[in-house]
Amino acid sequence: MLLRTGLAFLPSQVQYKLTGASDAPVGTLDQGMNIRQFISESYPLDTRGNAWRDVLAALSLRSDAPGQDFDQFAAALIRGQAEGVLLGKLTATAQTLTPIPRKGRLPLVLMPLDETIDVTAETAGFPVAPGEAVVLPVDKAWEVVLHQNTNLAVFCLSETALHGQRFGLSPLTAPVTVAASGFGNVFLQSLRAAAAELDSLNDMEWQSVEQVIPDLFLTVVVSVSSSTADASANASQAALFSRLTLAIERRVAEADLSAGRIARQEGISERYLQKLFEQNGESFTHYLRERRLQHARMALVAPDELRIPVSEVAYSCGFTDAANFNRLFKERFGLPPGAFRTNHLKSLMEMANAEQRGWPVKALTDRKAKKRSAIGGAQADETELADIPDTDGTHHVLPANSRTVHWGYFSRSLRPVLEISSGDTVEVETLTQHSSDDPELFIKGDAAAEDVFYWDADRKNVDRRGAGPIDASIYGRGAGEGFGVHVCTGPIYVNEAEPGDVLEVRIDDMVPRPSGNPDYDGRYFGSSVAAWWGYQYGELLQEPKPRENIFIYEIFPDGDGSGFARAHYAYRWTPQKDPFGVSHKTYDYPGVPVDPATIERLSPVLSDISIPLRPHFGVIAVAPREADPVDSVPPAYFGGNIDNWRLGKGASVYLPVSVPGALLSIGDPHASQGDGEVAGTAIECSMTGRLTVIVHKKGGIFSDLTYPLIETPEEWVLTGFSHPNYLAEFGAKGQGEVYAKSSLDLAMKDAFRKTRRFLMSTHGLSEDEAIMLMSAGVDFGVTQVVDGNWGVHAIIRKSMFL
Amino acid sequence: MAHHTLPATAETVHWGYFSKMLKPQLTIKSGDRVTIETITHHANDDHARMIAGDAAAEEIFHWTAEEKTIKRRGAGPEDGPYQHGSGEGLGVHLLTGPVEIEGAEPGDVLEVRIIDAYPRPSANPEYKGRFFGSNPSANWGFQYNDYLEEPKPREVVTIYELDMNEPTTVSAVYSYLWTPQTDPDGIEHPTIDYPGVRVDHETIEKKEGILSGVKVPARLHFGTMGVAPEEADFVSTIPPSYTGGNMDDWRIAKGARMFYPVAVPGALFSVGDAHASQGDSELSGTAIEISLTGEFEFILHKKADLPGTVMEGLNHPLLENDDIWSVYGFSVTNYLAELGPDHQYEILKSSSLDNAMRDAFRKLRRFLMTVHGLSEDEAISLMSVAADFGITQVVDANWGVHGSIRKNVFKCY
Repeated sequence: MLLRTGLAFLPSQVQYKLTGASDAPVGTLDQGMNIRQFISESYPLDTRGNAWRDVLAALSLRSDAPGQDFDQFAAALIRGQAEGVLLGKLTATAQTLTPIPRKGRLPLVLMPLDETIDVTAETAGFPVAPGEAVVLPVDKAWEVVLHQNTNLAVFCLSETALHGQRFGLSPLTAPVTVAASGFGNVFLQSLRAAAAELDSLNDMEWQSVEQVIPDLFLTVVVSVSSSTADASANASQAALFSRLTLAIERRVAEADLSAGRIARQEGISERYLQKLFEQNGESFTHYLRERRLQHARMALVAPDELRIPVSEVAYSCGFTDAANFNRLFKERFGLPPGAFRTNHLKSLMEMANAEQRGWPVKALTDRKAKKRSAIGGAQADETELADIPDTDGTHHVLPANSRTVHWGYFSRSLRPVLEISSGDTVEVETLTQHSSDDPELFIKGDAAAEDVFYWDADRKNVDRRGAGPIDASIYGRGAGEGFGVHVCTGPIYVNEAEPGDVLEVRIDDMVPRPSGNPDYDGRYFGSSVAAWWGYQYGELLQEPKPRENIFIYEIFPDGDGSGFARAHYAYRWTPQKDPFGVSHKTYDYPGVPVDPATIERLSPVLSDISIPLRPHFGVIAVAPREADPVDSVPPAYFGGNIDNWRLGKGASVYLPVSVPGALLSIGDPHASQGDGEVAGTAIECSMTGRLTVIVHKKGGIFSDLTYPLIETPEEWVLTGFSHPNYLAEFGAKGQGEVYAKSSLDLAMKDAFRKTRRFLMSTHGLSEDEAIMLMSAGVDFGVTQVVDGNWGVHAIIRKSMFL
Repeated sequence: MAHHTLPATAETVHWGYFSKMLKPQLTIKSGDRVTIETITHHANDDHARMIAGDAAAEEIFHWTAEEKTIKRRGAGPEDGPYQHGSGEGLGVHLLTGPVEIEGAEPGDVLEVRIIDAYPRPSANPEYKGRFFGSNPSANWGFQYNDYLEEPKPREVVTIYELDMNEPTTVSAVYSYLWTPQTDPDGIEHPTIDYPGVRVDHETIEKKEGILSGVKVPARLHFGTMGVAPEEADFVSTIPPSYTGGNMDDWRIAKGARMFYPVAVPGALFSVGDAHASQGDSELSGTAIEISLTGEFEFILHKKADLPGTVMEGLNHPLLENDDIWSVYGFSVTNYLAELGPDHQYEILKSSSLDNAMRDAFRKLRRFLMTVHGLSEDEAISLMSVAADFGITQVVDANWGVHGSIRKNVFKCY
């Protein structure tokens, strides 16, 4: 268990993969826990039956329900792993279940929760009432008949989960009932309670359940499978054997541990101990060696012990001779211990590298201790103020180039690229970070994009991408580690803005940026990635799983800002090697040029579908006060990656100013997006906007504004987040924790509280009036479930107020 | 096509539950139209405005120490001693029906078109011809444990008037703090825990001039509409589920077509819980609850005819109107089947927007794949860039998130 907890800094998916010894996850991972959830509603009719069969197969069960045209309701929640403990809850309609014989599988427990089921075996049949359970040997023939919609708790485990304890299990030849009395009842109640709380247990709590239920199970099986006469004798033998194995677990480090010592400790004769082990199918010596090797295997890859030499690991597990240990280890696991550790580290890096978003919390903790590291990139003392023509003093033009953009982060120490005054207008170019998804369409021939995205073997024009370490010392993805992905233009220094003021950014106009490639002259394109951080990633239906897809869209704007988009072609992400030689197995670093030779274009896709445009800026931010630099992905009080499509032409966003000059950045332009942004991105498309920037001094109507507030001609749109100020809430660990702890339930609460306050302070309503009005006339919607800090917005129609 | 009328009377309503055991009040054929009256279960919040002089409402709500016209209110026990009353208020909506559709069988889909909806005028000469509704901020509301001001917690009832002149709007008339009310059987109701208890206006203090200058655009719709579930005999009307019920989506209004999977023979359609307006989330626990009369058209789609239509593979409610299709995600997809015999209580502990969002995502993906023939990858990309997820309600135990896709995205529409 040391291993699991020690890996806490990795995403739990990775922990799971690493610790699931045989790499046989039951299925998709939900909320980071090794939980598989199935519900028939997910599946088209013709695949529903097969999907249900897969779920049952994980439990060694087969159903007679049809594979095709399975139009019944079915649901399952299963936690655990195939090579260990599996606990689940099934909802199934009338059908008959039979076993799939499996080696190394111990008997299965089915416990009906609400309806009686019938069990038939070769010799006899009997009903099992709700609250009882049946223990079913998987290597024998039997049938379990569900007569109607039934909820079942189900439990099974593999031999490996028992650390070699299988005492008394072999004789089970036919299904037997566990009645709800005596010890059986203790087991049943525990099983029922664990099944009910499956998805609410955290990983640590689950580990306890994983230990307790098998222990209870073992004793129960011994008592039910033996004849009444010797049942208690067998049960007490099993308990004794269990104590012996526990004693061994505690003392593996003792090199001179012997059968005699253990026997003395437990007050039995050595001969009796040897006999117990033989009954269980192996000698004491062999068992002890196996346990030592298993301990060594775990210790070799425990993250806190990676620097401990192999010989010391051997010693700590009771081996006295390193050469002997090496030989035994290789015999057992196929690799010498040193190579085993190296291999493990490599795969750990790969997996972690692939699907970790933002800072690992552990890295943040370490970083706190160190001196503040340089931001790198366009830092105050490194970059000249860009040469910006200021037409008449109140209108400014801010082009995008490698000196006017910063990539993937916000920072209060960035040198402004433009200085303006309240009321001024700015024409600002923004480039999408997804331009590299098809360099031919988005970059070639466009001087600005070529500059910003320039990357050869020696240098890239914008090195830092993300708020991570500039030396990529965590995952090695690249400078900044992709902890933040958006290309942002700015920051703009606004003269009058002081902390406590509110900055209004009004979008007077925005237009897409045409392709600079003469082959696509005057055409507009966008890209949308169904990425590993998308909502779908852990629960894809079709193979291969998981996968990332890029859809390239062509944009057809019309004069007034509307228009539509059509899919141009699509491709599946393939590992891309960047010009520095780093391979990106997933979309884990922004701006990696996709090599057209490595991908397979799919076309036509989404044929006959045209998507109405909703041009908007995904990111509008002022510099946050708490940390520096800050990952651009999770939105919060300072704005940032708001991803609300209502923030388009004609709309304003009001942002609370944290640092002198506000330091406004704009980026992540979108041609269209749905509420939810489920796949992880919108139609990402470079755009140029004309903005008016106004400072509202402290004390005005927005004096208590603490979050991004959007105003459109018809509506107020308030932004709620899972964690409205995650930087303050989680402190130094914020940039890691925010990704782990998002929830729509929290975001809804935040949106409710903000709306109540807004109606009370801005419209002078009492609390009761505000609540009535929210129920009758305010619409709450899902902004996004993909930006780390999930969002719910509230829409207040202005027409309600006279 | 025949046109029927189903008035709301003491005989034609059932209160607080759906049941496959109920005797149909009307039997119709596919294609028929029915004008159905509904009366809001909140009418007794202001008896003078919403009940007095209205013979049908007076009879339905009639309750003295000797007589209670409609005893059972809710799916709870019918036998005393009661905590709140017969049926225990486990389900609160006053529903008209059920309407039996000839030939409907499990596996079929019932399409219900809302042709029109209009309010029921006050019959009290003092308010003749005017329309009133009630909006309690109730103990099951999202705000209940999150109040700022004293007294905490509290329930506040606001009476609204609906103005049917264009543009139709709703404005607050007055409000009052809920005070413990004793019903004619002597049971005290310290909170709003049982439907139809007449609020004694001597015990309350009316607050006038509230929400002054605020006019909420009207969104006349039916909060609860659906067919009888198969799983249990008496099912609370509060949690929405696969057969519809208390969906509380304001888009279920004039012009909408709802599709429900038929679970029992005859379908057994009931409707009620009409609203003058509601926001997405129905935050305080209720909408502006009002009595409406609706004109409905019923079309039965037989199981064999479903492939190739929007109803293919449908096992949950689906909305279609001129602009969109919406699917409904719930905290627990089919709580009647999933939560076992104690589902009525278990569902109260299972509310979660995160689960509802998951469910909506899955249902919309399936809809796009099955009905529009998209691959999974196409469906996901399209959902990200063009589908809108909103919060239907956070107050009906089985919380809801709806996923909508605009029809104009598809060329064929």
